[in-house]
Amino acid sequence: MTAIASRIRAIPSWQVTLCFALLALGFLIAAQMAAEGPRVQYTSQERTPLVGTVLDLQKQQDQLKQQVLDARAAIAQLEATGQGGAAVTKQLSDQLQAAQIAAGLVPMTGPGLVIQLKDSTVPVPADGNAQDYLVSGSDVLTVVNQLWAAGAEGVAINGERVVVSTAVVDIGGSVVVNGAYVAAPYQITAIGPKPLFDTLTHQPEFADFIRSRGEAFGIDVQYATPDTVDLPAYAGSMNLRYGRTTPSVSPASSAAP
Amino acid sequence: MGRGRGPLAVALVLAILGFLVVVQARSQAQDQGLAQLSVQDLTELVANVTARNNQLRAEVATLAQQQAQVQSAVQHGDTSSSQMRSDLDHILAWSGVLGVTGQGVQITVNGALPPQAVDQMINELRNAGAEAIAVNSVRIVPGAVIGGQAGSLTVEGRPIIGTTNTIVLVAIGQPETLAGSLSRAGGLVAQLASQYPSVTVRVDSEDLVQVPPTDRSLTPVLGRPRL
Repeated sequence: MTAIASRIRAIPSWQVTLCFALLALGFLIAAQMAAEGPRVQYTSQERTPLVGTVLDLQKQQDQLKQQVLDARAAIAQLEATGQGGAAVTKQLSDQLQAAQIAAGLVPMTGPGLVIQLKDSTVPVPADGNAQDYLVSGSDVLTVVNQLWAAGAEGVAINGERVVVSTAVVDIGGSVVVNGAYVAAPYQITAIGPKPLFDTLTHQPEFADFIRSRGEAFGIDVQYATPDTVDLPAYAGSMNLRYGRTTPSVSPASSAAP
Repeated sequence: MGRGRGPLAVALVLAILGFLVVVQARSQAQDQGLAQLSVQDLTELVANVTARNNQLRAEVATLAQQQAQVQSAVQHGDTSSSQMRSDLDHILAWSGVLGVTGQGVQITVNGALPPQAVDQMINELRNAGAEAIAVNSVRIVPGAVIGGQAGSLTVEGRPIIGTTNTIVLVAIGQPETLAGSLSRAGGLVAQLASQYPSVTVRVDSEDLVQVPPTDRSLTPVLGRPRL
């Protein structure tokens, strides 16, 4: 017995650590394989490639959005280079920049609020509808509209800027914003005046939302009020294929700072 | 194994372990939402994301063309002001600062609908590709919220319904697509008819509708561009 103990003590400490690390590694691999088992068993043959397709498409979308932002920045840079000191072009360049800021095409920072919506952890009753316990696109849209009503001047949902063409769509238990799949939890970020939180939480419509979704179904609503919040630029298309401009106001009157 | 190589092996194994833990946690978080979806939902999601990607590809191509034009103008000593003016008009029209006319739909609602139902219609039209939307001649832009109660709706805090209790939405876009998205079997119009039996909703395709400019200032006061 004493001999065994002394042999154990003689083992270098790094070997002991390595032994435990390899054990953990083995456990992790086994756990991952075990977790894959039921998924393969219960999912249909079509689903697995579809999940992979969504993830691939989303990755492509991220790259395309970056290309749009890079191209817009390059054009702005070129236009600034080509100003040549002409006063009229300088004025146009300023108006263009102001219009891009007003339209949501430029990333912004400012005071504001972050609201996080998470699916309920309340057990679904036998006669309940499981969908009621998940955050829906309608919930996200309600919060966005209530933030606008409270005085927000810019809003984003999980990194997607809310602009004039933004639709928030429910597909099963997932939410699509600006055509991009956004996964729960949903972080809705807004730039707005300091009392944005107080104004929001005192609105009867927001109180109704908390009652009907938070209290009734356990949808988790959390708030954070950091000193500043950041909003990304909208990186999508600005379609006007069917519409033609009818100038009726001075461009500078609404978009210039 | 030498004495010096032992700790190195431990460090290597621990690094692999940490990497695997992070990779597994990330992939599970990302896939969790998708794994809950049915095949039908996943197919719809693929269609949505593909449509957006196609729009983005078109936008990238347009921007590349625009970049080449500006580049050429700059090289020839042109101040590129005509291109800038065109860009400016496009952004102002898209964002709601300028009025827009074109093909589209007119939706006439008779009866008392709550603001959430009107929000749903606006959201549905946007999802179907509406390029500009107005409710009772008020341009819908970020911040223009439908409020009030059923029968006494407001936009931007101003009443939009008179004694006739009629709401008129106009949207510019491909008429068949816009009308189809609302009127399809099980679509929003059918849902509203079932929820609010006393309300009638009529969707008409139009060759020409007018969407006025917003009178709201879209210029941020508190936010600053992040460079």
